[in-house]
Parts: sequence; structure tokens; C-alpha cells
Amino acid sequence: MEGLMESYFTPLVPMDFGYQYRLGAYLERYLDGLRERKILGVRCEGCGDVMVPPRMYCGKCRRKLEEWIEVKDRGELVEFTVGHVIMSKGKLSPSDPYIIGLVRLDGATHPLLARIQGVEVSSLRPGMRLRAHWNEAAENDYFVLDHFGPE
Amino acid sequence: MRNVAIVGVGYCPVFVSKRNDVSIPEMISEAIHNAYLNCGLTPENVDAFTFGNMHTFEGVNMPHLWSIDHLTALGKPIMRIATGGTTGMSAFHCAYYHVASGLYDVVMTITFEKHSEGDAQVGLAGIITPEIMTVLSLGIDLTGGSGMGGLGGGSAGGISFQATSYLHHSGAGIEHIDAQAALERRNAAKNPYAHLKDPECTAEKIAQTPLVSYPIRYGHICPTTDGATVCILASEDKAAKIADKAAWIHAVANCTTDATTGNLIEGLITDPAEQMSCQLAAKRAYERAGIEDPRKEIDLVEIYNGFAHQTLMFLEKLGLCEVGEAHKMLERGETEIDGRLPVNASGGVVSTNSIGTSALNRVTECALQIMGKAEGGHQVPKKVRKALAHGWGGLMQYNTVTILGDAPLKR
Amino acid sequence: MDEKVAVVGINYAQGDDLGLTRERLCFQTVKGLLVQLGIDRHAIDSFILASNDFLEGRTISNVFEDGPVGAYLKDETKVEMDGINAVVYGALRILEGSYDTVMVVAHSLCGHQVSPYLQVQYSLDPTYDRQLGLLNELSGAALQARSYLRRNGLDEGWLDQAAARELAAGAANEKVTRPLQGMDEGKVGSSPFLYEPLRELHCYPPTDGACAIVLASAGKARELTDKPVWIKGFGSSIDSYYITHRDLTVSSSAAEAARRAYAMAGITDPEVQIGLAEISGLFAHQTPMLIEALGLAPEGEAPRGFAQGSFGREARLPVNPSGGALSAHPVCATGAVRVAEAFRQLRGEAGAVQAGEPRLAVAHGQDGLCMQQNTVLVLGI
Repeated sequence: MEGLMESYFTPLVPMDFGYQYRLGAYLERYLDGLRERKILGVRCEGCGDVMVPPRMYCGKCRRKLEEWIEVKDRGELVEFTVGHVIMSKGKLSPSDPYIIGLVRLDGATHPLLARIQGVEVSSLRPGMRLRAHWNEAAENDYFVLDHFGPE
Repeated sequence: MRNVAIVGVGYCPVFVSKRNDVSIPEMISEAIHNAYLNCGLTPENVDAFTFGNMHTFEGVNMPHLWSIDHLTALGKPIMRIATGGTTGMSAFHCAYYHVASGLYDVVMTITFEKHSEGDAQVGLAGIITPEIMTVLSLGIDLTGGSGMGGLGGGSAGGISFQATSYLHHSGAGIEHIDAQAALERRNAAKNPYAHLKDPECTAEKIAQTPLVSYPIRYGHICPTTDGATVCILASEDKAAKIADKAAWIHAVANCTTDATTGNLIEGLITDPAEQMSCQLAAKRAYERAGIEDPRKEIDLVEIYNGFAHQTLMFLEKLGLCEVGEAHKMLERGETEIDGRLPVNASGGVVSTNSIGTSALNRVTECALQIMGKAEGGHQVPKKVRKALAHGWGGLMQYNTVTILGDAPLKR
Repeated sequence: MDEKVAVVGINYAQGDDLGLTRERLCFQTVKGLLVQLGIDRHAIDSFILASNDFLEGRTISNVFEDGPVGAYLKDETKVEMDGINAVVYGALRILEGSYDTVMVVAHSLCGHQVSPYLQVQYSLDPTYDRQLGLLNELSGAALQARSYLRRNGLDEGWLDQAAARELAAGAANEKVTRPLQGMDEGKVGSSPFLYEPLRELHCYPPTDGACAIVLASAGKARELTDKPVWIKGFGSSIDSYYITHRDLTVSSSAAEAARRAYAMAGITDPEVQIGLAEISGLFAHQTPMLIEALGLAPEGEAPRGFAQGSFGREARLPVNPSGGALSAHPVCATGAVRVAEAFRQLRGEAGAVQAGEPRLAVAHGQDGLCMQQNTVLVLGI
């Protein structure tokens, strides 16, 4: 029986499936807002939290979110990390260092995850003020809000 | 062991091909909202959750993690179950064990599928992709083997073996499958939560649909549907306080057999119509439920039928009639909504198939029939004291059975 | 919970490349356990599998696992989460009363056959996080690590120390067949950055692994072994998906899971009553965070204590004498392996890594980004 084990081989099975996800009305409206340089959130009537990006439910209060709020396009850095790899399809490949961070926009309760550019890593500090930098030419709606940088 | 009841059922508002208006978590939240509404409970009342769907269809791993904020379940235990076509009932069984263990009083089962966001064939073929890819990479020509029939047409290939074998052993003909499909589409027309409805459907209409692989016609095959179904279970003491009407779980059973591929290339496979695991699961369920003569005691059945012939085949395998009897019962009208033994009054999976929900819908439909709450005209006129819900899946090898009653089982 | 459900036997293996197919690995693991217990597969009433289709590379992956684990013509189901949850489900089945024995089998081949990061990447929100491409298992963990360091006044060298502790323990564990010798602070601190402050050796090594556990009802347990390990309690809880909504410096769902488990087990002072902990910390900062969340050390004391070795094998409350998930992470099986390690410690069968004579132990497993979902089990002998 043991001899059989020597004849194993491992074929490579590349699989690539395409999916088309429905964003739902909340995210669609958020992305439309980005095209107008507006950052939209929703406010929970229960706890008062303003969520950006907006979504249908406040998990804590279990309430449907109906009140739309526009938050400012500037705020403060909460935390950051410097990435030295890119992850794609579960695999890592090396990258020049880039910064991603959590930015709490004025008017929002929780921070937004975004790329940070135009700031030296050594001068990054929680509490520092940053503002949104836009790229209206971006074809992909998600990248219209390109990154956060100096005010 | 304590008695467990189904106290609430919630469906999303419609089961259709494409829910373009909502994202996955939003769609699931609709069914949850309806479940609470239908039994007057609130999220504070629920102790734990189980969650099931077949993720290859949406390409999202463990979707309970992403959707959690929409599920009213933050902070609570939630267990994810994934077993293929039987997922809905497996997730339901998991919830049953939570309550029956004595540790949780009220548990919610959440199931869904959003087929429109993926490719159904991908999800199904994904079961044996590694085998196919291995064989191809070895340079073996798949088309030369006689087993190619098993792979042809996606899941319809192996299914046509099953249907042919069923017809052979039972003496039924393709015209019976046509008639069964038509009956289910007519039933579906009376179910607001069904997908493919045709109040005027006839065997002749079905017979005009193209043949996919003899004896499977296009009209015999289930659709792919977007939908979500939620079910709330409660212990005996709690159920009395929550619901004036409940459906009581008398038995759950589950059985697996070998994956029905055998030697794919040479076409040597176990007879997919044998469904030994169905026969065993049913036997175990009857024993646990104290049912000695299921043909007399079961008042209503919901059978998992992705393909119309399976209703007839499983009726026999579940021991609810003799081999060769099912299609005769159909001819005599015994399985109609107003018949002696209504089968798939809901329209079955062949009319509505969002896979994660499909096996749970068999349970919820039985529960609604027992509670007298089936809407749209598909409530059966006879009193339903005991009902059997059946789930099927895997690579034609998993069978799950749930027996429900209108009163708690005396233990 | 009184003595109602016991763990009666375990069998498991972990390594970078076990050189086996999934089917062979599951078969060997289960067969080895059956032989150990002196029973055959017919003595098992129900099977609960834990695996992940994304890691198996096929839909309904339990379809092909049924045969190898011995579930043919038997009751079998699959939990698609960390294996510790399959242990909990098994306990529920026995408590219901229809079953006397349950076999739990958890496994994956993440050591060499599949990109393990896939399973978390595909659990991310496909409508937003996956589109933006910024959040992944590592970047999330890095944000959490940095927040934790900042809040506790720790420097990055602390991560090296914490990781080195776990790796040293793993090096001594014969059940971790990985080359961990010499993975000291210096080695860890010079491994390349992935997302600062996390370096490669601060992060879990994905490995191959399978773990089979047999659970039994009280009567049956005493037939199968003279040293049953009783499941005293368990609890599970889940945080918001949105890490931006969470205080990343604490794991509130791990604390809640522990609270529920202790309540069921009748434990009022875990720091004093628990004799050993096996915790699934996937990154260097997580095990100390979880020690606090599980109430095993006063707030603020765990990080420095852990780095200094106050939770080592000779401590009053040893944590991860096995080396934890930082030494070997067979995704999906990891939580079950923690149960297995706690089992052998309680029975005094842990050989070179035996950590005292604990009577009560805690095992922990997690799923999701930044410990979103946690399950805690209390075991006692």
C-alpha cells in the first residue's frame, strides 16, 4: 500500500469564475455621490452613529437606516499601516511601500479605510488632519475618491 | 430530549430570477424581518442562529461574517452550515439540536441564495472540477469514455441516468414526468412565494419543451432563483407563550452514501435512483417519530425535486408507497392539493430553487400547512396532523428528512 | 454543565507538507483514532466535518470526505467554520439524546496546496472592500496590531518577543512538524515586513493539518476511556463585520464568548480557576489580546507578561504550551487542534510540552477578520 503513495502528482487547477454583485440602493447612492465630490453617510436614529459608507442596517441597534447625511471631505487620521506587499487572489507579491489608513471624516462616527499619499511615513500621527483628493477621471466609481493627503 | 416547535416562518417578499434591487445582506434581512413579524418575536428573544447557503454561487466565503450586521445577530452564537442541496435542512437540523440540547430556547435558521450574481453551472460543476482538470491535464480524452454521459449537460447528465433507472424500475413513462411537472407548476401558481407559476400548465405543454437528455425535458428542470427563507424554532415552554399555532418537530434524520461518480470515465456508477441514503434516513426518521405505518400516518409531503421525476422517485424511496405506485397515485389525483396525500402543494423545488433555501422551504411549507397558514390558495383542505419534509443534495448522495406534527411528540 | 459530554479520543497531524491527498489525510487521521479507541466506524453515530470549500477547491467538499472518514450510510453534516465549532455542534447532538458518539473531523491542506489568504479574502464584502482592494487579512491585522501597541505603550520589538515565545513552544512540540528551531527574537525581528508593524514571522504559517476528535455521552465515555475529558461549557459570539466600527484593541466577541462559556461551566474566577489555555492567536499580538479577553489576566498585564514568559510551561496558567497557531495554522482545523492539545494536557499525555497538572482548560477558535467571531470551550478532568 505504501508504494502507491510515491506516484502522487499535484496538477495545477486554475479556476477563474466571474460574479456580478448587486450593490443595493445604499452603496449605489454613495458611489453616485462620489462623482459629485460628496461623501454620503446614514445616521442611526437609535444610537446616533453616522456610517460611511452608508448601509441598510445598524447592527448594534438592529434598526433600518433612513436618514442621509453628507459628511465633510476632511477629517483626522485614526490609525495607519505601511504595506510592503499586495494581495491578489490570495497570493502576496512585493510592493513599494504604500500607506493605508483609517480616516474619521468630520461628521462621521467611524473612520473610512483609504490610501494615504503625500505624507511622509515618519510624520504620520493619529489625530493629524487629512483631506480627500479626487480623481474624477477615474473610470471605476470606487476610485473617484482617490486618496487622503495633506489639507 | 425536549420537544421543539417551529413558531415562525419568514420568506423574502418574492422568489424570482433576479433581485436587482438589493444586495445579498439586504435580501436576507427582508426574510428575517418577515419572520419576526409573523410570530411577534423581536431580536432580543432569539438566543442563537444557524446560517446556510452554497457559497460558490455567489463567490462569498462564510457570508454570515459579512452580513452579520443585517441579521440582528450581533454578539450572539451563529453557526454556519454548508452541505450542498440539503443545506437548508441541515442548517435547520443544526438549529433543532441547539434547542433540543436544552441549552438554547429560541433559535433562528437563516438561509438564502442569490443565483443571479453568479453562474449556476459553475457552482454545480465545481463539485468535480478537480477530477475533470486532473484528467484533462493527463491528456485523457473525456469525450471518448462512456462515462461522458455522466458529465454531459452539467447536472442534467447524471440525472438522466437516475430518471431512466427510475422509469425502468417503476414502469412509469416520460408522460408521467410531464404530468408531475405540470402539477407542480399549477400548484406553484397558488403559492405567492414560488418562482415558476403556470395555472394552466398541462402535461402536453411540458411535453413540448425541448429534450435536454432523455428523459429530462427542459420543462422538468428547476429554475435558479434569488431568495431567502428564515425559520424560528422554540422549546416547548417558550413555544406555548409565543405562538397560538406551531408545528412540532417529531424527528430529524440524515444519511449519506457514496458520491455518485464511481469511475467517471468508464461510466461505472452506483445506480443514482437507488438512493439508499433516502431509504435509511426515512427509516430512521419514522423510528424516532414513533411512526409505524407512514403510508397511513403521513398526511402531507414536501419532496426535494430539482427534477420532476424525483417527486415520484422519492415518494417510493421514502416508503410512502410501493415501487411502481407513485405514478399511479399521480394518475388517480391522489397527490393533488385536495388529494389523499398532497405532495408538493408549494410547487416544490422544480418551481422554486434558490439552493440555500430549497431544503428549508420543504420544512417551512410543511409547517405552514400544519399551522393552516399557507397563502395564495395552496393550503390543503384536509387537516394535516403529520407531514414529512425531504431534502436532497451533494453529488446525488445526501438525504435529509424531517417529520413535523401538529402536537408535541409524547416521549 | 455537569458531566454529560466528554472528549474521549483525539488524533491529529500538522506540517508544512504532509505529502498526502485530502482523502488519505482524513482517512489516516480517523482510522488512527478508531484503532486507538479499539472501535470501528460503526461505533460512531454521527459525523461532523469542518472544512472550507474555498480551500478544498470544490463545492460541497464534504461529498468526497464522507468515504474516507467512515460516514458511508451514516449521519454526516458539515460546519464551514473553524473546527472548534464542529466540536460544539457535536456536543449539542449528544445532549439532544439521540446519539452516544460523534466523530468530528477538521482539516485543510493550506501548507502547500492552496493560497490560505483566499478564504478570508473571499469572506470580505464583494460590493465594497473587495472592490477597493485595501482591506485583507494582513492589512486588517496590521491596523489592529498598531492600535494595540499604541494603546498599551508597547514598541514593535514586543511583537518579536511575543512571537518568539510561541515559536519556541512550538519547536518543542512533536505534534508540530515544522522547522521552528532557532526562531528567536532576532530571527523574527529580521523577517520582512508585510504590513507594518507585522513581519512575516509575526503572522501565522498556513499549514497542512487534520484533527479527529471523538465525543461521547456520559455512559459511553466511560466505556471508551478511563480518562474522559468533560466539556464543561462553551460559548460563541460575533462582532460587527466592519472593523472600522470596532475597538480594535480589544476582542469584545472573544470576551463575550468566554463569558458565556464560563457561565455554562460555573466558573466565576477564570484567572484563578483555569489551569491552562490553548488559544488560536493568528498574529503575534492576538494571543496576549485574547488572554485578556478570556479574563485570564488582569487588564494591561498580559502583553508584558506574555513577552517575558509569565505564561510559559512552568507558569501557574500556561498559555499555548503547544506553540499555538503562530507555530502551525491548519486553517479550519486550528480550533479543533487547540481542543486536542488541551485534552492531552489534562490527561498528562503531552510529553515534552506537558505544562503542569491542569484540571480545567480553555480552548479557543476564531473566524473572520481581526477575530470577528470567537468560540470558547471549557474542558475539565
